[in-house]
Amino acid sequence: MIADEASLARLAGLAQRGDKQAYAALLGAARHWLARYFRGRGMPCQIDDLVQETLLSLHRKLASYDPDRPFMPWLAAIARYRFVDHLRLVYRQAEDELAEDHPAPQLEEPAIAARISLDRLFEALPEAQQRAIALVKIEGLSISEASASTGQSESAVKVNIHRGLKRLAALVERA
Amino acid sequence: MPKSTDDLIAGLVDDLHPVRPLRQARGMLLAVLALIAGALGMAGFWPIRTDLVAARPDGMFLLSASLFLVLGLASAWAVIDMARPAVGMRREGWGWTALMAATLPLAAAALLAFELARGMPLAIDRDGLGCMRFGLGWSVLTFAALVWWLRRGAPVLPQRAGLLTGVAAGAAGIFAVSLYCPHNDLVHIGIWHGLTVVLAGLIGRIAVPRLIAW
Repeated sequence: MIADEASLARLAGLAQRGDKQAYAALLGAARHWLARYFRGRGMPCQIDDLVQETLLSLHRKLASYDPDRPFMPWLAAIARYRFVDHLRLVYRQAEDELAEDHPAPQLEEPAIAARISLDRLFEALPEAQQRAIALVKIEGLSISEASASTGQSESAVKVNIHRGLKRLAALVERA
Repeated sequence: MPKSTDDLIAGLVDDLHPVRPLRQARGMLLAVLALIAGALGMAGFWPIRTDLVAARPDGMFLLSASLFLVLGLASAWAVIDMARPAVGMRREGWGWTALMAATLPLAAAALLAFELARGMPLAIDRDGLGCMRFGLGWSVLTFAALVWWLRRGAPVLPQRAGLLTGVAAGAAGIFAVSLYCPHNDLVHIGIWHGLTVVLAGLIGRIAVPRLIAW
């Protein structure tokens, strides 16, 4: 069961003062909420890793929680940061693999999961924005190369990347 | 990383120590102390403005120095608050202050454009390079204080935190310099002092994210 906001804020305040019992209860509640949060982002095989990474961040950054504010928006901000960081890392690993042309089976699954997760977000974008972001931000083409490849003007490519990334960020925040 | 989340939680609970929550007031005190240190340190290089010593300050100086001071404080406030993240939190006050301070360089540029249109030569002095150099130099104190604060916290928007750190540091640095800079003309203040803040913002935007990654 996930405790209510007021109880979580109180537990977090007690944890900051060193109350281990309150901290254990807080981490237990946070764990369940985080599992649901990451499940909703379409990375089923990564949930445990993400939950553990976020709990570690919570532990390291406990002082950044303001006991006068609600707890959940703080936890959600940390979870989102870890999620975006995780996606970036998995993507970078996948790109490195492609560049080196080495089979690395242990990394395949997270890379695919990240791809699926991003593809789901991409579906919400117009075609032109998807193409511009995929070519420049993922495949690493220059603006002029992307412009030649898509038939969009260079300024249109830039605008599409800017608007698309802004929309993706909003989607990640809302999801 | 432990194999099970239960083990991890047990380990974290075992490792718990009391922590002091980051307080906005403490962060602001740090930023203000850095700003004051810059203003005092500048005395070792240039004499303080004569109109200030005579307690008859020039109007343009008062207006521009106030704008840079408010910009520095508003941006520092936003940076310090960014160390304590929360989804849905809006920190936009600094933007209005930045817009207000931007009227100085914009007005200076307009003045220069009118003069050029009348066929007059560009009247930009070179003393401004000294203001810019010292402004950026003294901004390092505020810059270091804010980066240290962000590293203690959990900033989740590193690029914006970097930009604001640079703007706050640049505005604090140029405020310190303006207490000593003898110029009262809009072109000098708008172009050179304004450019210092813009440059510091760019430096912050580029350098800070990698310093505060967590």
